[in-house]
Amino acid sequence: MSQFIAATGFGIVNAGIFALAAVGFTLQFSVTNVLNIGFGAIMSLAAFVAYDLNVVVGANIWLALAIAAVASGVLSVLINRGIIQPFLKRGTSFFGMVVITIALDLIVEYAVEAIWGPTFLHYNVAAGTPVTLGSLTFTHFQLVAIGISVVGMIGIHLLLKRTKLGKAMRATSCDARLSKVCGIRTSRIHDAGWFLSGTLAGVAGVILGLTLGTFSFTVGDQYLIVIIAATMLGGIGQAYGAMLGAVVIGLVTQWSSLVISGGYSEVVAFVILIAVLLVRPTGIISGVAADRNMAA
Amino acid sequence: MHIWQDDVSTSNDDVSTSNDDASTSHDHIEVSLAAEHGRPEPILQVADLSAGYGGPPIVSGLNLTVGKGEIVTIVGPNGAGKSTLVKTIIGELRASRGVVTLAGKPVTAVPTELLVRRGIGYVPQRNDVFGMLTVRENLEVGGYLLAKREVGRRIQETLAYFPRLEELAARRVLVSKMSGGERKMLALARALMMRPEVLILDEPTAGLAVQVAKTVLHEQVPALAERGVSILLIEQRAADALEISNWGYVLVSGMVRISASASEILGRKDIGEIFLGKFSTDTR
Repeated sequence: MSQFIAATGFGIVNAGIFALAAVGFTLQFSVTNVLNIGFGAIMSLAAFVAYDLNVVVGANIWLALAIAAVASGVLSVLINRGIIQPFLKRGTSFFGMVVITIALDLIVEYAVEAIWGPTFLHYNVAAGTPVTLGSLTFTHFQLVAIGISVVGMIGIHLLLKRTKLGKAMRATSCDARLSKVCGIRTSRIHDAGWFLSGTLAGVAGVILGLTLGTFSFTVGDQYLIVIIAATMLGGIGQAYGAMLGAVVIGLVTQWSSLVISGGYSEVVAFVILIAVLLVRPTGIISGVAADRNMAA
Repeated sequence: MHIWQDDVSTSNDDVSTSNDDASTSHDHIEVSLAAEHGRPEPILQVADLSAGYGGPPIVSGLNLTVGKGEIVTIVGPNGAGKSTLVKTIIGELRASRGVVTLAGKPVTAVPTELLVRRGIGYVPQRNDVFGMLTVRENLEVGGYLLAKREVGRRIQETLAYFPRLEELAARRVLVSKMSGGERKMLALARALMMRPEVLILDEPTAGLAVQVAKTVLHEQVPALAERGVSILLIEQRAADALEISNWGYVLVSGMVRISASASEILGRKDIGEIFLGKFSTDTR
């Protein structure tokens, strides 16, 4: 029983991190219709930028996180403007774009390796005392990670439902042509989508580095697979679906490690994904998948 | 690309038909030009417009006018260039020649997302509402360019004309669950949010049941015109559309073959037979 409770605790922490990343990944896809595999490398890059700010410059880790996240957002907009848009204007197909973002992912990831080297790093932070909530025990960083995720999800919810930008993002995601007819400058909305996605990738990357303790340049890509699984599970392009998918994948992969080796957790994630897609090809929340003919 | 191919092949078929009757149609143009003098002051004007997709132009040297407060219908067989014309007016296609003016000001090269600010509203044939948004959100997006305070007022104003929509909005029904007629109503309401001077309706009855289509054409569209919106209507149900229109254009092979008052076109059965095929049987 205590093992189950411990696994649940880890599962909640992972779910929080996955949710940040999966929502970023899925929102950007939903708004821009580009499946950005480079997302994982942005997570890694943010973790290393925060490392320099924290360890080399000596900044507080939360300040480092904030700066790295915003920088990731800006970089994502630059990638959109400088690389993605020129290809789209040329009429590159959906799968052509996937290949381009895979290339981007590798370029950024190996640039990180070239700059920081292939070694494992860790942030300069004090461990702090563990906090016990009921029968669950969390480290200080795990609690903050959960807190950031919860605040982030509420923020995304309010953005999408209450703000003009959020509604424009949903409208653009639903029908870009009709959005233009309504006077929405969709290219700006795309920029906003890339910025938000990059920022969330940055937050998720740094928190991953913090909760893992040590990390290397592949940290983002290691988790990208699971993040994509969470995204697909919830229904691609659906922010709420991604949150739901993240919770399911986060918890079940940890619970499964009680029965079979934790090394198989990615396999478990995909078994869940395939099982769900067999029953419900569009993922839990359909909509975008059905709309764009992307059901499995 | 596929659509374009269709356009060409269909319009080629029509060329032969219209050439046979070139003399007849020419006479009509002469007649109608004289009648143009009685029309109201133009709000939307298309002059000598040519456009296409890089190959030979799909519409060429096209002239048409929508007068203030008028309902103007464009009819014509498939592939006549109606869609191309609309796409060019709303800034999705670049004109290779000619100008489009709104209230005398050129809007030819204005991109789609800036046109609505100028006073041109557009309701596409398909995908005319945001299916994953609520009724109210659809209207909010329709009023995207308005100040926040104004949006609420306009929604009230717009919904007052569509009691059924108000009911659906109150029940927070998801748009994708609504019927075809309800969606078209929402599409019209969405376009009205910006109080357009001209509203372009691209086949508003396509895909609707006959009775619903009649309601749209005989009740909703005239109601819009009564509110002072000038309307450019592209419609397959030619007879129904002409019945509510002031003026009509018959478009064949990318050119205006007939420009005449709607009643005149309706009165001449031969026009329907020559240019519209199923004009008098299927569409009425």
